[in-house]
Parts: sequence; C-alpha cells; structure tokens
Amino acid sequence: MRRALKNTFRLTPVPCLRRIPLSRRTVLRGLFAGATVSVALPPLDIFFDTNGEAYADGTGFPKRFGLWFWGNGILPEYWTPLGTGEGWSPSPLLEPLAGLTNEITVISGLEVKVANLKPHGSGPGGFLSGTDLKIAGEDETFRAPSLDQLIAQAIGGDTVYRSVEVGVAPGTGGRSYNGSDSKNPPELEPKALFERLFGASFTAPGEEAIIDPRLALRRSVLDSVMADAASVRDRLGQGDRERLEQHLDAIRDIEKRLIKLETEPPSFAACNRPSIPFDYPDIDGRPQMDARNAIASDLIAMAYACDLTRVVSIWHSDPVSDVLYEGASAGHHQLTHDEPGEQIQVQGIVKRIMGHFGTFVDALRNIPEGDRTLLDNCVILGTSDVGFARTHQIDEFPILLAGTASGYLKRGVHIRSDIKENASRVPLTLMQAMGMPVASFGEGDAYVETGLKEVVA
Amino acid sequence: MSCTKTSVFESTQHYLQTRRLCQLASVTGMRRQSKYYEASVWVVALCLLSWNMAGCESRTAVDLRPVAQDPTAFIESVTPGEPAIRKLTRDQFVSSIHDVFNADIAVPPTAEPDFVAGGLASVGASTTPYSPRGVESFEQVAYAVANLVLTTPEIRVRIMVCEPTAIVDSACAQQIIEPIARLAWRRILTEDELARLVGVVNSAAQTLSSFNAGLEFGLAAILQSPFFLYRFELGHSGRFTDYELASRLAYFLWNSTPDIELLDAAEAGELSTDEGLRASAVRLLSDPRARIGMRRFFIEYLHLEELLSLSKDPSVFAFYTTDLGESALEETLSLLDYLVFERDADYRALLTTTTTFVNPTLAALYDIPAPSSEGFARVNLPPSGPRAGLLGHAGFLSAHSHPVSTSVTLRGKAVRNILLCQDIPIPPVEVDTSIPEPSGTAPTMRERVAEHLESESCAACHLMTDPIGLGLENFDGVGRYRLLDNGHMIDPTGDLDGTDFLNARELGAAVASHPDYLRCLVRTMTRYATGRVETKEELETHITTLTNRFISQGAHVQGLALDIVLSPMFRRAGEGG
Repeated sequence: MRRALKNTFRLTPVPCLRRIPLSRRTVLRGLFAGATVSVALPPLDIFFDTNGEAYADGTGFPKRFGLWFWGNGILPEYWTPLGTGEGWSPSPLLEPLAGLTNEITVISGLEVKVANLKPHGSGPGGFLSGTDLKIAGEDETFRAPSLDQLIAQAIGGDTVYRSVEVGVAPGTGGRSYNGSDSKNPPELEPKALFERLFGASFTAPGEEAIIDPRLALRRSVLDSVMADAASVRDRLGQGDRERLEQHLDAIRDIEKRLIKLETEPPSFAACNRPSIPFDYPDIDGRPQMDARNAIASDLIAMAYACDLTRVVSIWHSDPVSDVLYEGASAGHHQLTHDEPGEQIQVQGIVKRIMGHFGTFVDALRNIPEGDRTLLDNCVILGTSDVGFARTHQIDEFPILLAGTASGYLKRGVHIRSDIKENASRVPLTLMQAMGMPVASFGEGDAYVETGLKEVVA
Repeated sequence: MSCTKTSVFESTQHYLQTRRLCQLASVTGMRRQSKYYEASVWVVALCLLSWNMAGCESRTAVDLRPVAQDPTAFIESVTPGEPAIRKLTRDQFVSSIHDVFNADIAVPPTAEPDFVAGGLASVGASTTPYSPRGVESFEQVAYAVANLVLTTPEIRVRIMVCEPTAIVDSACAQQIIEPIARLAWRRILTEDELARLVGVVNSAAQTLSSFNAGLEFGLAAILQSPFFLYRFELGHSGRFTDYELASRLAYFLWNSTPDIELLDAAEAGELSTDEGLRASAVRLLSDPRARIGMRRFFIEYLHLEELLSLSKDPSVFAFYTTDLGESALEETLSLLDYLVFERDADYRALLTTTTTFVNPTLAALYDIPAPSSEGFARVNLPPSGPRAGLLGHAGFLSAHSHPVSTSVTLRGKAVRNILLCQDIPIPPVEVDTSIPEPSGTAPTMRERVAEHLESESCAACHLMTDPIGLGLENFDGVGRYRLLDNGHMIDPTGDLDGTDFLNARELGAAVASHPDYLRCLVRTMTRYATGRVETKEELETHITTLTNRFISQGAHVQGLALDIVLSPMFRRAGEGG
C-alpha cells in the first residue's frame, strides 16, 4: 500500500524538488518495482540539486547552528588576541587555534548585562537567554529559552531531529533550555549518541527508505497517546498544561520522524554511515576528554552533513566543572580558585579546551559541501560561563565564532570592545545570520536591538 | 537588624539584602582578631542562616516538650494548588514497570534524567516537563519492554489469561490488557480508554497478522500513555481522590506503583477514611518494598547518587578504588535500613552509632578487619575510635570533598544544607576565593582557612561552613583517618552553633542534638511525599506539628512516615479539583 503510494508520488513531475528526496537510483528503482506507467525523469539539474552536487558554488546548502560551551571561563589577561580585524595573532590561550585564525572570529571585551548573582550561573543564563537567572535556594533555571533552542524552534522543523544536545565530560547536564525549568539533557555516551543518530533508524544516501508496516502502527499508537492526553488536558492548571503540551509536541516530533523514515533520505554527497564508537571509561579517575571530544566532533559533523539536524549544542563541560585533566594536580574548577599566581595549570586546561574546540571546527572543515566546506555553512558559537573564573566576572566574556553561516558573517576576524558593550548583540546577530526575522534580544539591561555589525560580511 | 522568613531567595532585592548583611557581618566582625570578633560574627551569622528556616527566634523556638498530638487533627487550610501532575522519576519508571509485570525486567535506560528542585528529584518531578529527548526514548523503551514481556516465558504465561481464538480477538485482548493497564495507570479504565487500547491491539494484529504483535503495540500504548508516565493528582473538592491517594501512598512508601490490594482499597473508598488510610499505610510499611522505598528517599535526601560518579585522584588517595563510591553508598543505605527497619531506632543514632556495614574495600579504608571475604556485613567500630555515624562514613566524607583534597567548605555546607536544612547564601561574585597554599605560618587547613577568612566578603558565609568542615579534617578526601595534614597535627576542635566539640564524633553528636536536625528530616520527607516545597505557613504549622510529634514519639522514622501520610499536607488537594 505504502509502496504504491510512493511510486505514484515519484511519478508526479514536480518543478522544484529541493526538499523531496529523489535520486537517480530512486527513480530507476521505481521503474523496476513494477510501475507500469511511463516515467518522466526530472531534468538533470533538479536531479542534481537533491544530490548536493549541483550546488557547485556551495550555495543552497542549509545553514547550521552550533553552540559549543565549556565551563570555568578563561584568564582574560592571556586570552585577548593581538591586533584586530583579519590576521589576528593568537594569544597564549588561543595558541591551539593558530592554524584556524582565518576561520575563527574572536569577539573580546563584551559584558553580559545581567545581575551577576550566581557564580557560573548568571553568565550563561544572561548570555544565552538574555535574562536574569531564576534562583530559588539551591535551584536555578534560565527564565527563557537558550539561544540554541530559539534557533531550533525557527529552523529545526525540517530535519529528523529539531536539535541535538551532546555532553563531552561525563555527567554534564548542559544549559539547553526550552524555557523556564525545561532543560534538554545532553547525550553523554558516544555509543548512545551514535545509536540515536546513525543506528537502526538511519538510512544513508542511496539506501532504500524503510518499508515497515510497524512504522505506521507506531504512529497510530502515538495517536492513542494523544487522545489519552486530550481527555485530561482541560482539567489541568496553566503550568501543568504547558508541561503536558511540551510532551505532546515531542510526540508530534516522533510522528514526523517516523514519516521521514518511510521516505528516502536526503542525498548529501558527504553523508555516510560512521563507524560505531568505542566506550571511553575514565583512566585513573580522569575522563578521556580528548577521545570523547574527538568522537563527539566527528559524529556531530556527520549529523550535520547528513542533514539529520541543523542545530546542535555541544556541552564540553558544565559550569563549575571539576574535571580532573591528565597531568593536573586538582580538578579544573578547584584550580581556578586555588592555583596561585599566573595559574599555569588553569592556562593549560583552557588551552586544552581550545584544542578541543579546534578539533570540532576541523571536523566541520574537513567535510566538503560543493566547493566550500560544511564549516562555511555553519556558524558555531564557542562560549563559557564566566570571563575570569577566579572572580566569576562576566565581563571580558569569551566568545568565539567559527563558520560564516553561508557567507553571512565575516571569516576569521578579531573584534574588540574596550567599553564593555552588551554581549546580547552576539546572539541577536547569530539569529539574524540564521535567517530569523528578529529585531531584538534579551530583557532589561541585556536588551539589544542592534547586532554586531562588525562581524557581518 | 531584621530577619525575614523565607525558604528561598524570593527576589534579587532579597538576595542583595542578604549579601549586604553578610558583608556587614564580615566588616564588623573581622576588624580585629580579638576573642570577641568570632562571637560577634557568629551572632550575625546565626541570624543570617536562621532566617531561612524560621526566623531569628528559631534558635530557641523549637518546642522540645513532648506533644502527643494527633497528626490528623491539624488546621484546615492547605492550598497547594498547582502543580498537579508528577512525572515518574527514573527510578519510579523502572520500579513501576517491574511491579506492573511482577518481574525484574531489564528495562533499557531512558534518556530522561531526574531534575532536582527543592533538594529532591521528587519535587523536580512536579515542576519540570519531560524533555523532548526523554519522550523520544520512552517510545523506544516502551516497545523494548513490551517485547521482553511477550518473549520471556515466565512473564508471558502470567499475562496470557486467555487464548485468542483468532488473530483479532477483542474479548481476549481486553482480558489481557485490562489488568495490566489498571496497574500501570493506577486506576480503573473508562470504557473509552479500554476500547481505544483494544483498538490498538486489533489494528496491529490485523496489519501484522498476529495477535501477539497486536499485544506488543497495546502494551507499548499503555506504557507511553500520560496516564502511566505521570501521576495525575487533580483532587476533588479539596481532597485527593482514593486512587490519587493510593498512588501517593505507594510512590511515597514503595517508590513504585500501587499493588492490586491497594487499588482495591481505593476502589472501595477505604482511603478516604483515617482508619482505612492508616491501615493501608501500615500494610505498605510492613512490606519489604517499603525498605526499597525508604532507601530511595535517603538517596535523594542525602544526595547519595553523587557517590556513583566520584572523581578521585588515585595517586593522592592510596585507598581509593573504583568501587569506593558504590561501596560507600551501600554502607550508608544499609545502616539506615538497619536503624529504621530492624531497630526502629531514634533517628539521631544515625550520627552517633558505631554500628556500620562494611565490605573489604571499606574495611581496608577504615583500617578494621574485614568481616567477610566479600559483600557487606554489620560491624561495630571501636567504641573509642575516631569514627561514628554518618559523618564518619566514606560516602559523606568523599562526596563533599575535592578530587585531590578535602574541602572544609563543602563538608560544612553539606551539614548545614542537607542535614540541617539551612540555606547558605550564594557566594558573592568578583571576590578572590582562593585558599592560600600551605606555608610556614599556615601549615594545616585550619590556618590556611583562617588566612582565607581575612577576606571580609568571604568570612561571614564561610564561618557558617568551614568550622564544621575543620572538625572533619581528620578524614582525608576519601574518608581515610589521618592525624597529620601537611606534616602537622590536625586540630579538629570547634563549636556548632554554641555546642563545643573536640573531634568528629563529638561534632556528629552536636549535629544530632541540633534543634534543626530532626525538623530537617521532617521537612524533607514531607517534600518527598507531597512532591512540592511547603509554604511558609505550612512550615510553621504542619511541619512544626509533625516535628514536635516526631520528637515526642522518640524520633522513629517509620512513625514519621505514617504521620506524614495522615497529615493534611498529604491528603488535601488544591482548590482547583
């Protein structure tokens, strides 16, 4: 039944097939699958559009957004690059990115303009959601969605996953919020991440769509679940209704995902099935951060390349993360407070984290899209929870950009603010770079209406 | 100076006011290193930390006289209002599936973590939504469980209460589905609901030409339903319904779904009466599942889950092994189980007893003979040894330490936050928080901290925590006993809110006799049972009454659990229903 419908669908000439999965193999397979009517092959240029190959100039690929967050900030004194504009030279802490200065933009000197009430908490809340952190005793939550989710709501609907959240350090909880008290937990284990993205539900380009009557039955079960919810919804108060509504939205996403499984995957040239990752147990009480970061980088790069998602947040480590790095005499957070002087060990850890950021950027750059790279069609925001960790300041906030959002942004410049300008200008600029028609970001002192023109191409 | 009564920082203003008080305390207190400065800081600090509990007067206001009051005879007004749907915690998700199918099914892990609010995952389950990622995983886990149920012969034979006569057999499908759904949804199903589930079974059976496959989809529908994944506690006329009470009771005492007997009692309307509710609560408490449920409460209350992700540097701690966290968790839970269920002991014994449970890992750490070659056994620590009670457990000592060292601040904060339910103000930002390195003038942590406390903005708040932590300095970052720190003799003496202590054991006794200690258990267990943070009024009325009764009855935890069940906070719903 489904098969027949599918063939009919294929036989309909459609002038623009950008989002409709169609490849030469698909069409030919349709021919041999018993269809008896004549087939009008679509013109070759459209044909190639779906293949990714016709984008010879590198345009037309979707834009992707990535948030790459690490805990415990920086040492501003050793962070700010020399020189502004293009050709910036790396500071000691940015040394690991020396080979990427033409790809990475550094924005230094901005301040997060919210009340800095909670060490390590107010910074990310203020920068990523533009609002004061909500604090109740030991509890804290963003008051508004985090930047990754604002973007996911706008552009995430077309892909298998609206957004993907990943944690690198074991136990990372992340700060991806759908709204107050509503967090998106990151995937922590490489194998679980692989299974979700590239496991049983993944079809690589050129592979047939999954023909399985169980998929439709699973959707009918979801309908039954929705009916259960509808029967009780009216009796709930406002807050509970919103909680349930988020649940039902997630079910609708599952339904869409099941439908996608029944159709051909998009045919991006660079997309292929990665190999299954290993387990990465701690060694001598220390997590294997290099390996965990590398595998997460590769899997996420491929998730972008296969257009499984266009919005990712990578939580390298949490605020206050006390990861015990190889060679360090104490946990990261403890060192930021207790190590005296120039904090050589903390510097070493920040450099190591920058190396991890570089690994991710490299993974994106190594994947071609047309005559550009995947990185060109991304914009990755690298940031943290504080500026100077020792004092929890949220001025001199660390902000890195990689990728140009398909040419919207400049490539590889250093922008410096000596007057502590509002950091909210960055999220506003990035939403605009992703094509969102937004005119402002943030609340109160963090409110802005103008983006950071200096980084726009 | 005025102290306001609140359990949370209600506003930025309030927080800032607190911080100013804190700093004021340090400025006035730290001027001179006279004998008096410490006292003056303490006056301010005590006031500061008590405003969160019950105001300045709480130091002396807790009535320790016996009050044999009936816990049901409380005041009328309890208006919790929203929220009224409670998610299942990770643990409840698994235990509910086990109890629905009466089998230890290997439930695959979901992607939904617990979110803590008010100190407890049980409260977070009332305030947060399921994440989209979690919901996605519930769908997959539901099919995996359904598949396991139908392919495991012992389980399958139990649920197949009829033999289908055709691929589509509505009557048989209903006979199989109905009792399972009743347990999973914790109530009788409406005809519509039952018809919907049978419809799912039938259409899947038809499509896949298999009655068995139909059942798989039916079971998956039950397990994905909001009626399984949430506990709906909407109430009716200001009271929870019998079914809602059955769920509250079962998840409080068993951390799992109600059994058939409890659902029958609910159906018969027995839980609306004092006697009926008491009888069911007593039955549940005497069931072995209550011991599992109580363990869960203490895992949440004492934040013991942290022990499963300990990060310790083995090159610093020779006695650290990768099974330490797990072993330490089991020690604390075993002792609690023993005190609460086998001895029905006074809860204060948790901090003073020399009885504990050790396996070879812990015996080595504690430097005592291993009682058995493997597994845990009860032991009595030397009566005059350094170690007694929870504050001597490897779990408490290692969880509230750094990966490479102790932390007097984290340990002190844990005593105040967790055991005494006192909020420590959030440290101010933009101050240097470093502790000086050991030096000639500051060889041990005590002197290093003292130097540290010369920073005015740190001192007031750290004086609440660090003196407690200094009392535990004889135990290193994994709980190994030591006399020396950096080659110098450790001085573990101090005082806790006016009670002097000479060492860790006396500190434990001081915490046990602290007026906030028992009240803190009452408050936390009530939060756990009701899934919400109490109002200020409830703190002064119901929680105080429960506390007084708990104390007067000898501080028996089972008795407290029973009193909480019978209290209005457990039984009265918001006005909405």
